[in-house]
Amino acid sequence: METCLKKVMDAVDIETFFVCKDEEEGRDLALKLLEKFGLKDTDIVFIEHSGAGARVRARGYLYRAGDQYAWLEGDK
Amino acid sequence: MDKDKKILLAPLDPVHDIGLKIMNRALKENGYETILLPPDYQPEEIIKSALENKVGAVLVSRTLGYGVAELLSKFIDQAEAVGLREHVKIAIGGMGIRVELAQELGYDAGFGPGTVPEQVIAFIEEREPKLDLSGAIKSKKNITDGYDYVYGNKKIEALLDKIAEETLAWASTKTSKAVLRAELRRKLMDLPDGPEKDAAKQEYIQLSDEKIRNFYQNGTMPPYTRPLSDHEMSELAKYVKTTKDRMRMKKLQKVEENPTVFIQYGTGCPFMDVAHIKVGESWGADGVVHFDPSWGARTEGFLEGYLTHEQDGTIISPENLQVIKASLEPSTLWQVRAHRGLNTPETVLLAGKIGADMTKINIAYGSLGGGTDPARLTVDGIQCMKYAKEFSMPFDVVTNEELCGVPAAKAFAGMLTTAHIAIKLGCRPVLQPLFVYSPEVMITGEMEDNYVDFNAAKIKALRSIIDAPIWPGAPIGFLTQTEDRVQSSLSTAMHGALASSLGVEAISIASSDEAYSGGPIAGPSRIDTLTAVKEAFRFFGGAGIKPTEAADTMAEKIVAGIIDTLEKAAECESFAEALYAGIYGSTAEGAYPGRGGKDSLMDQ
Repeated sequence: METCLKKVMDAVDIETFFVCKDEEEGRDLALKLLEKFGLKDTDIVFIEHSGAGARVRARGYLYRAGDQYAWLEGDK
Repeated sequence: MDKDKKILLAPLDPVHDIGLKIMNRALKENGYETILLPPDYQPEEIIKSALENKVGAVLVSRTLGYGVAELLSKFIDQAEAVGLREHVKIAIGGMGIRVELAQELGYDAGFGPGTVPEQVIAFIEEREPKLDLSGAIKSKKNITDGYDYVYGNKKIEALLDKIAEETLAWASTKTSKAVLRAELRRKLMDLPDGPEKDAAKQEYIQLSDEKIRNFYQNGTMPPYTRPLSDHEMSELAKYVKTTKDRMRMKKLQKVEENPTVFIQYGTGCPFMDVAHIKVGESWGADGVVHFDPSWGARTEGFLEGYLTHEQDGTIISPENLQVIKASLEPSTLWQVRAHRGLNTPETVLLAGKIGADMTKINIAYGSLGGGTDPARLTVDGIQCMKYAKEFSMPFDVVTNEELCGVPAAKAFAGMLTTAHIAIKLGCRPVLQPLFVYSPEVMITGEMEDNYVDFNAAKIKALRSIIDAPIWPGAPIGFLTQTEDRVQSSLSTAMHGALASSLGVEAISIASSDEAYSGGPIAGPSRIDTLTAVKEAFRFFGGAGIKPTEAADTMAEKIVAGIIDTLEKAAECESFAEALYAGIYGSTAEGAYPGRGGKDSLMDQ
């Protein structure tokens, strides 16, 4: 895992605005964006399409409860 | 810099100069002679003034963001051209300034938003700033202080007296496995290793369900559960120490009247809980509430050890609670809930022995919405109250059955009945009315116009009945929040402001992930709502929110409904019988007497 990702407590959220025709397209774009960042355990937390496009908050979990957290390793 | 040289303060901005005025006052207070120019001077005019007055430093400011780079560049070039830079310090500050930009352009210093005067004075005096990095000084508060539990409504008091006395008499001949296990847990914690302790352990195991027996006898873990390794525990200890060493806590409250703010945790993993608690403490949470898994409430007996769990709710074990307790800052209030399920007395005992500040005890909600048999929870709940008294732990009594559809008046009658039994036993209960968008009001339309009146009516009604602390929850604004974190945080903040305006003692707030059900709550979402509540407290200060006249009518209706409910309950043999009979909420209203622990009571 990349060092910067090791320091993430639990999840990475990406917020942006997609110029797109509907919510479905915005959702697809957001999930593809997360994939580009190498995030695997992904979901759309919030999406709202209105006229100009979609405001979206997409999330990739680095850890879920019960995992082993790399940030516990400190600065090693 | 020599104090006999003047300092020139010049807003390089068409209108804004507040920051420089603040700096001007601070410099004067520190013995400097200053010249403060008005806004809208051109760079050459400012430079001319600097030269004529032979100043030692020039502090220019810029609030507006547009054209900043060009303007600052022009100013510093002109200053250099006339030789001003050679013997004069030049710094730039203000809302429109980025420190990196100032450095790039060649200024001696740049001060962005959030700068305090000491930083600028230190720059002038060529020394390190003396900043207070200790954060807010917070102390632990007992939210029941100052309340005398005297009833203003004597009719309700008389009805509650009758129900409470009959219920205590009814329960006095009964016990349960949970009550027995709690006393065995005390022995397990207090006795030295030896035959007596071994016997207590065996007895405890026999009084537990198969799932728990399998854990102790065969080492079988419940699904989605694993023990935490020694290495993980060691790493956690280092993480907690490091985080505590650098801990700086914000304070959410602006005025004395602002309530104590609790957050809830229960990710399933005590490590992630600790991490979220430290985030919460850093951003101003005053208290934290432990959420355990729902299956734990349906199982007789507790596990032991450092355990993590892949699903919602963090397993209650003596060791898990100790880990969480050890991670808390000294000022943080810690509540461990025991309001439903088959292990409530042991939960309160553990909470008390491990050092929780508060617990949560309930008979009505735990029976009608929490899945526990009313008779069982009445007996267990009374034992919980005795432990709460023993450990001097206040506890709240929730009315979450409203979320099932039970009208507020009936839910309040259940809350007051539970609280009155507690008062009779010498406890200090805290009333926890929901501060939400309940199914009842969705149907009746009492929140069609606003979210203020019905919530205000609840507080008014309770205040007219008894002088007791009130802690709305849980969490405030529930069912008003959406997955949009701005909306969610704002809704929480508005409810927080309303609660503060109504003078309550505490509130429980959710994260901005409250309405998101696709995964665990993320740490940053806790910061969203804590920051929003802090801003709401700052915005309103000692000012208030004024409900409409409808709130008074609603409050009267709630009080009348409570009396009606209690009159019917007083005709029953006990609280439990009234709960079975649907008096505190019927099946038609969405309240179902729980079946967990049904027919499990034993004679004393």
